[in-house]
Amino acid sequence: MTNTETALKETLASIEGATGAALVDYTTGMALGTIGGSKSFDLTVAAAGNTDVVRAKIRTMEHLGLKGEIEDILITLSDQYHLIRLIKGRGGNGLFLYLVLDAKRANLAMARHQLKKIESDLEV
Amino acid sequence: MEAGPLPGVGRPDPGPPVDPAVDPSVDPSVHLAGADRSAPVPPVLSPMLSRLAEERATGVLTRDRGVLYLVEGQVVHAESPATPGLDILLTSRGALGSDGWWEAVSEAGAERRVGRFLVDSGRLAAGALELCHLGALYDAAFFTLGASSGPARFRYGVAHWIGPVRPVTVGAVERETLRRRALLHRIWPDPDTDTAELVRTARAVDVVLPPRQRTVLDQVDGERTVSDISRVLGRPGFHTLVDVRRLAAAGIVTTRARTVECRAPETTAPPMSPAPSVSTVTAQAAQAAQASADPDVALLRRLRDALEAL
Repeated sequence: MTNTETALKETLASIEGATGAALVDYTTGMALGTIGGSKSFDLTVAAAGNTDVVRAKIRTMEHLGLKGEIEDILITLSDQYHLIRLIKGRGGNGLFLYLVLDAKRANLAMARHQLKKIESDLEV
Repeated sequence: MEAGPLPGVGRPDPGPPVDPAVDPSVDPSVHLAGADRSAPVPPVLSPMLSRLAEERATGVLTRDRGVLYLVEGQVVHAESPATPGLDILLTSRGALGSDGWWEAVSEAGAERRVGRFLVDSGRLAAGALELCHLGALYDAAFFTLGASSGPARFRYGVAHWIGPVRPVTVGAVERETLRRRALLHRIWPDPDTDTAELVRTARAVDVVLPPRQRTVLDQVDGERTVSDISRVLGRPGFHTLVDVRRLAAAGIVTTRARTVECRAPETTAPPMSPAPSVSTVTAQAAQAAQASADPDVALLRRLRDALEAL
């Protein structure tokens, strides 16, 4: 049983190479909590923008008639990884965890594994 | 069901202090929605609310579309008749049985610590309560701070029985409310569907609708408004607003008043229909549209609205 603050702190502490994370409501695009980020990397802006990424992917899958559910979405930049993990909120709102990783330090497989664990601890 | 032990008594604490981002490099502190960032100050939505935040007031602010509860100048709870409350959001999705909810209210309501009781008695995870409450707070605040609100009043010293969960700053609530208004405007600039009774248009649903929108569409019956639908589905009101604006933008849903207005010119007053006063311009436009192959006045109207919005 973890609260949001602890879960976000744990995300940054336990995932090698993580530089920022946000928990986002994807209907509104609102970041319910953020950790890390910097003046030049505003996580609330990233949260709102990545909502469109999630929406677009879900729509495309519906058009294609794919029945599977998205577990996570990975975006690789030359120096960063952005990992989006979808979570089902029990209060009726769809959420996702958004994680920014330093590509040089991060281990993607481990990061995905850890994120899955944090999600189950969060019990949102 | 047996009630869990009562949590240790203590004064409700206003939550952790809020620290603005100061370091230009990586900022290690957690920002929960509501923590004040060093962002530009938004235009003031309610001068009274800003003043109450400044004087660190505790009490309840009542506006004509809802209420905001403050503790030491921070928003701790919000409610609006336009959107389902925390009880509906938690119970309708099965996060909590309604027995569990009411037991918590009767056990801990008098002490004003229902939130803590839900967590301490193991009925709800701390994270689930926090996120659901935060979502409900911003949702109700959006409606409470709606543009059409009339005069407000504040009663000092009043506290809500849910107790402390996660206080957020007035600035954060105002910023989020403005951001949400802009989001709605971007989807579809016509606010008529936000409050009116909704109907389906004659337009066939020729696109694959996302399940969430389809569920909302299934509730459109000519009588229900956005807030009725939110309550039926147990969804936050703003989420339904977003879905309905998307359906309006796709031409699938419109307001009942608008369909009555559109049909009026082509009928020679059927006995039951109200006689709306239609301007001659609208009537001419309708006649012109009838003369052409496709008398889709609603489409033309949407086109005009969209062009005006550019």
